Amino acid sequence: MRSPKALLGVTAVVTAALVLAACGKGGGDDTGATTGTLDFYTNKAAWEPDFTELNADSKSGAQIELKFTGYSDAAQYDAFIRQSFRTDKSPGLFTWQTGPQLAEVVKEGLVAETTDIWTKAVNEGWVSPGLRDTYTYDGKQYCVPMNIAYWVMYYNKKVFAEQNIAVPTTWAELDAAATKLKGAGVTPYYQTSTLFTFPWFQQLVAGTDPALYKGLATGEVKYTDPRIVEIMKTWRAQEDAGWFSDPGSTVDPAVGLKQGDYAMINFGSFFNGSLDGAGMKSGEDYDMFVIPAVNPALTNTPVAVESGPLCVAANSSQKTLGLTYSQWWMSPEAQTAWSKARGDVAFNPKATVADPMLQKLGTTVAGGGHETFDRYYEATPTPILTVALEQFGAFIANPGDPLPFLEAIQAEADKYWAEKK
Amino acid sequence: MASADEPVRARSRRGADRYRWSARGFVAPGVFLVAVLLYLPLLWTTFLSLTDYNGLRDPEWTGIDNYTEMFSDPQFVGSMLNTLLWVAGTLIVPVGIGLGVALLTWNLKGGTWLRLPFLIPYALSGIGVGVIWSFILGSNGALDQALAAFGIADTPRWLLDSPLNTIVMIGATAWQGVGVNALLFTIGLQSIPKEPLEAARLDGATGFRLFRSILWPMLRPLTAVVVGLSIVASLKTFDIVQGMTKGGPGQSSETLALTMYKKTFVNSDYGLGSAIAVFLTVVTLIASILYLRQQLSSKHEG
Repeated sequence: MRSPKALLGVTAVVTAALVLAACGKGGGDDTGATTGTLDFYTNKAAWEPDFTELNADSKSGAQIELKFTGYSDAAQYDAFIRQSFRTDKSPGLFTWQTGPQLAEVVKEGLVAETTDIWTKAVNEGWVSPGLRDTYTYDGKQYCVPMNIAYWVMYYNKKVFAEQNIAVPTTWAELDAAATKLKGAGVTPYYQTSTLFTFPWFQQLVAGTDPALYKGLATGEVKYTDPRIVEIMKTWRAQEDAGWFSDPGSTVDPAVGLKQGDYAMINFGSFFNGSLDGAGMKSGEDYDMFVIPAVNPALTNTPVAVESGPLCVAANSSQKTLGLTYSQWWMSPEAQTAWSKARGDVAFNPKATVADPMLQKLGTTVAGGGHETFDRYYEATPTPILTVALEQFGAFIANPGDPLPFLEAIQAEADKYWAEKK
Repeated sequence: MASADEPVRARSRRGADRYRWSARGFVAPGVFLVAVLLYLPLLWTTFLSLTDYNGLRDPEWTGIDNYTEMFSDPQFVGSMLNTLLWVAGTLIVPVGIGLGVALLTWNLKGGTWLRLPFLIPYALSGIGVGVIWSFILGSNGALDQALAAFGIADTPRWLLDSPLNTIVMIGATAWQGVGVNALLFTIGLQSIPKEPLEAARLDGATGFRLFRSILWPMLRPLTAVVVGLSIVASLKTFDIVQGMTKGGPGQSSETLALTMYKKTFVNSDYGLGSAIAVFLTVVTLIASILYLRQQLSSKHEG
């Protein structure tokens, strides 16, 4: 390519290709169909059998069948969905993440409004008005909840029985149980240094002061706030006491609980599926309890709730079809069938939950004395979350003075909130 | 006479033109493919690196903001240091051992059979190597259990402490990469002409002396290729780290390629991710050019 002419030629071709690439924008026209096959995309590839099982019900209930495409890598899925909005192949139905992630696509006008569906569902008593807030932007709703999970403490019943430990109902009792377990040579809690590094921080902060926890998510509270530092010191003391499992272990968490590598594990209520899969029996080998608040003065015990949305792209050719399915999805019939297929807590109180333990959890949390808050993973803006997950991981691997870890998170938070202003 | 020549020349010029155009026609599809598949992504990435782009809105021009942000980020500096450790480590370990294996076996009968086992891990993908080694090196993993069998209980935390985690991951890469380096060096050794070797042996050169004065200089062209490939491969290290530590704990084992991936696909900050990609490309390019120019220049031939 020595001659300038050839260079010019290549530049022309590249420019033409660039122009072509830039033109691929826009969406398909809504076909208006209300029955048929709906293209469904999710990053929960492992749930394919559950959705396939549900197809029989959606076929008879709404004459719609899902065509399942599952991704198992969250980041790859995220990039795929983002790009698809710019093509005429935007999905008729897809899973996403609540919190800032959903706010972002709503702000860009990329997801279809579901206000009518929510109004009907709330009127029918299919969903709590509290959950609606998670899906509300400027008074309008977007997407519907695919699932909800409460973050609770799972425990190995056999280990508890051996050590003669009753289910803790206060933070002091939980601490006493951990001390007793450690004394008997059993590690009380599971922990990991990758990805799920946030639950204990979330539990400690929200359980101490729910307003402080919310302030972190909105940027009003700094991670270096003395109250947060104090909470981290509690965590560090527990780490130093040897209350947590080896973070570098590659043993599957469910298998670890089964083997008694540790007695307790703080996880979302979808963990029943993993424990059942590891060969433990729900209610017999393992059980769960709502983690008591750190601060006994709180009137309501805070419970972390995770909710994943099911969304319809605003410019999808299957928009009507997707919304029709979303409408059906909220109904007790759909949720009863889904709970049976997936084995999860149901957001619809009128649905029947297959697993009695999860049914009980649902009524416990919905009953008095409890208050849900958004899980840290959804509540925190993504760039801050990425750094926070890493810093908590580093703290877990090498517990020490918490301030440097918190400062690293705050540095990212400062950058993020400065750009938002 | 001249007038009689004119049409002939014109005809031949027309012929040459036609020939030129048909040649261009044949080249065009290839040029188009290269432009779309290679030049376009490069230009697009460079363009994105100068914008703020979240994958949803249109990219917004921000000039060199991403680059300033990148260089002022202490995490980026950490990733850069880890990447340098990878470059140095893969030069010393897989390339060094590969050369050693080649030197010890090339002259032996049945040497192929001795080298063959080293090549087997090369058939695995990097992610596969990462998964296997994380089971070996995880806390209370296979290695810890094996050491415990010998009564060694107080083992280091292989993947949790830095820089040990990067060092053991370089070890895992070496496990996979030694074979192919040994193969390349063997080919190089076998292509050395017999005469100078024999002459050196007659002069009494053996062992290290033979290696230093004869084998090493004559291997130079091949060493240049192996080392060049190794530098490029180590600068883009991603799969093994992603498979073993995901860059953690914290960011203690993160490489530039991982930082690029996280910024782009986890944080959806495509602009910043592209800036890191461009930086990585430029560094790789400069390193390759400097190295190859220095190694393959005529100075060394004489």
